[in-house]
Amino acid sequence: MSEAGAGAGPPVAVVGRGAGFFTAVRLVAGRELGACFDGKIAYVSTIAFVVLANSIFMNEFFLTGTIDMAGYFELMPLLLPFFLPAVTMRLWAEERKTRTLELLMTLPVRPAATVLGKFIAALGLYALFLLGSTPIVAMLFSLGEPDPGLILAGYLGLAFLGTFLLALGTFLSSLVADQIVAFVAAAVLGSAFVLLGNDSVVAVLDGLFPTRGLGTWMLEHVSVRPHFDAFVRGVVPLSGVTWLLGGSAVFLWLTATTLKRHRD
Amino acid sequence: MTGAARIEVDHLTRTYGTTLAVDDVSFHVGAGEVVGFLGPNGAGKSTLMKVLCTWLPPTSGTIRVAGHDVRREPLEVRRVLGYLPEHNALYEGMRVDRFLRFMGRMRGLSGKLLDERLDWVVQAAGLAPVLAKRVDQCSKGYRQRVGLGAALIHDPPVIVLDEPTHGLDALQVVAFREFVRELAPGRAILFSSHVLGEVLTISERVLVINAGRLLADRAVSGLHEQARSEARAVEDVVLDIVRSGGGFATGPQTRDAPDAPDAPDAPGSPEALGATESATEPSS
Repeated sequence: MSEAGAGAGPPVAVVGRGAGFFTAVRLVAGRELGACFDGKIAYVSTIAFVVLANSIFMNEFFLTGTIDMAGYFELMPLLLPFFLPAVTMRLWAEERKTRTLELLMTLPVRPAATVLGKFIAALGLYALFLLGSTPIVAMLFSLGEPDPGLILAGYLGLAFLGTFLLALGTFLSSLVADQIVAFVAAAVLGSAFVLLGNDSVVAVLDGLFPTRGLGTWMLEHVSVRPHFDAFVRGVVPLSGVTWLLGGSAVFLWLTATTLKRHRD
Repeated sequence: MTGAARIEVDHLTRTYGTTLAVDDVSFHVGAGEVVGFLGPNGAGKSTLMKVLCTWLPPTSGTIRVAGHDVRREPLEVRRVLGYLPEHNALYEGMRVDRFLRFMGRMRGLSGKLLDERLDWVVQAAGLAPVLAKRVDQCSKGYRQRVGLGAALIHDPPVIVLDEPTHGLDALQVVAFREFVRELAPGRAILFSSHVLGEVLTISERVLVINAGRLLADRAVSGLHEQARSEARAVEDVVLDIVRSGGGFATGPQTRDAPDAPDAPDAPGSPEALGATESATEPSS
């Protein structure tokens, strides 16, 4: 069909083959963390979380006077579903809204690498949240002899619970272009995963569906509470680790799949 | 003489739900060719380019870029392609130098090679004055140049530019024209515009698209010859081609999807294809 052309010239060889998987993960994570701190969201969310969590714990600590962190760990399932969506809401929703998703997804790296990179950035921010509790640990050890195994198990539980909720938030952020919608959806669903393990919720659901025992079934199969509560008791259950990490992997896979398919 | 085809589009069709955005389009672009993609807003140019760069999958038909199928080898296509999207979305909060370095590293560049390519891009796109600025502090013209720099950082043999002169002032458009000519040897360059004069000046070949259909694949010299023989302006010849295909964006390019890449101007509006319009947005 063409009628003319130009001089072909010597062939041009592309100089970049695309970043390797782990290099891309590192680059995306670094860029994402930088963007979090540029936008001040990291400072605001970290300070708010640390002040709220530590002050609630200290209030209870002065009332009970026990040298352990159980109060802190038991508080987390109530706080994290509202604070972690603040970390994840922008991860993909902002890329969609500003159209940089097209820029990112037409680079020669696997979508899984970009998903993992952003997720690791979110984990890094969550680690800052938890670092804010180290003064409590130091205080407990200076005042008495808390059980280090119990504290370690509690932190391990927080790591797995946080991973699960961050993965959920990452997936929900990939579905929409509005950060507020991503936040609300992650907060509601994250709270549901926690509250379905609440005794009164279980009782109500069992009462509503007595023949099927819906509340009990939800507690055993859907809620994160039984898995997390085991960690708080000092137990590291393999089933709990598998459930929380497996759930996280499913949400991250769904994120990558969504980004590959949901483009127009 | 052009080299082996670098872009091969064969019977490409792309739909959004029930809306036909690209309708059975076929063309090839060889190495050393600069091909202008001309059409009114909403004609299907951007959709086709999004399929070319692997952002959107084709509904049917095949596209090969440097021998790689966009559906089966998307990563290989992305490696050889330099792509400037229509809206040129950039990471607003990043400094220009850090953004370009990030893009280079994501392309697999590092060390001395990355430094060399950065130097080249900064010089070629004239980015030195804004290197230390954040992207959101740059003027529209500079933002466009940053996007162009990011698209060329890996020295791609196939370059796809969607409305590359959008936001550039008249002098920058002239500079861009020269820049494209310097880049052309050995590379296949496909760029889109709805500004007729721009396409006729920069490219050697023109693809005219409207309502998703390819209406003409003509050498610019051939269009000029036809215009001379008919004692008409070359712009009129092209406008006749567009009208023969149903006028200005009269096709079904309307859709409700939030990421509509080709929202048409008012059907029938002559502004949809700017015959003499120049991109004259000032930049700092």
